[in-house]
Amino acid sequence: MTEILHTLVTAGITHVVGLPDNTSAPLFDALSDHLWLRLVTVTREGEAFAIASGLWLGGASPLVVIQNTGLLESGDSLRGTATRMGAPIPILVTGRGYSKMKEAALTPSDLRERDLLTRGDVDSVALLTEPTLEAWGIPFERCQAEDDPSTVLARTIESARSNERPTAVVMARGLT
Amino acid sequence: MLTRAQVLDPLVQHRTDEIIVTTMGATRPWGRISDSDLDFASADSAMGHAADLALGIALARPDRTVVCLNGDGSMLMTLGTLATVVGSGATNYVLFVMDNGVFEITGHQSVAGSEQIDYAAMAEATGFQRVLFFEDARSYAESVEEILTQPGPTFVHLLVEPGSEGPISRNDREKGRYLRTSLADWSRTFKAALETKD
Repeated sequence: MTEILHTLVTAGITHVVGLPDNTSAPLFDALSDHLWLRLVTVTREGEAFAIASGLWLGGASPLVVIQNTGLLESGDSLRGTATRMGAPIPILVTGRGYSKMKEAALTPSDLRERDLLTRGDVDSVALLTEPTLEAWGIPFERCQAEDDPSTVLARTIESARSNERPTAVVMARGLT
Repeated sequence: MLTRAQVLDPLVQHRTDEIIVTTMGATRPWGRISDSDLDFASADSAMGHAADLALGIALARPDRTVVCLNGDGSMLMTLGTLATVVGSGATNYVLFVMDNGVFEITGHQSVAGSEQIDYAAMAEATGFQRVLFFEDARSYAESVEEILTQPGPTFVHLLVEPGSEGPISRNDREKGRYLRTSLADWSRTFKAALETKD
């Protein structure tokens, strides 16, 4: 977790806004008493995008951290705030269901038909995450087992800033 | 019960350098009487997210008071924001709920539970530092200066008469300057003004 925190500080992130899941919980724990990075814990993921957009309006540099289930909940908030504002907000999306998807030899490109979406051994949120980001016009990169999370996160932050739009990294692995 | 003008006129008179975030029924009326780069309309999208957007600004700028002019329908969409405000520790945040009991923009359909809901009690139970309720114009007008200057977070519940505001758009026919440009362009105008008025 030290590398992730170092990446955020080096990139000039001022606030982390979001809700923890089992993957991001260590990051939230580390942020709870961090010297420079301020943590804003929300009650529902849609709030995170409005708060992050407000932080950006006020001159801060926020990062949103949510699970992919919460991303699906956040559609209109993301669209109506950060996207419409052209706000350069990086989003760290932890990817529930990616390991099950891999075990089932499936990918986000598979046709999302009834039989697939109702399979007991598949967590449908993993199948829906990337097509949803594409549909919403959110550029993203998937961080896989062989990738370094800090490097990919730094690239996402830079991409959001250079393109002046919300940009996501989908963590299909743990943060460390 | 207050008219919308009875809510907004004292606010524009007492405002100094506060940031004002409007939404839904308050957006156009505020744009008619205020012409500040520190006004922000969270109006044409993301309904229900004005209160949390305003909180973000308040957290970024603890040196400024941020006022959100919310509606009752919008408040119900993000009630959890009451807890987020208190949990954030922001003291420079004022949340108005202009409670008219209806979705005015779409033609006065009733807001769910509007006859029973006590917004001030909710804010108090959540832990807002200051909670105020007004149903007459005089006591409200006498309190506005204090509302803007005392540490919060502050919650102001106002019973207001339904107005006749229709759907809000962004185009050059709008009277409020903050509605005559895109949300992306106004965001940059607002940011620049906040930076230069430090």
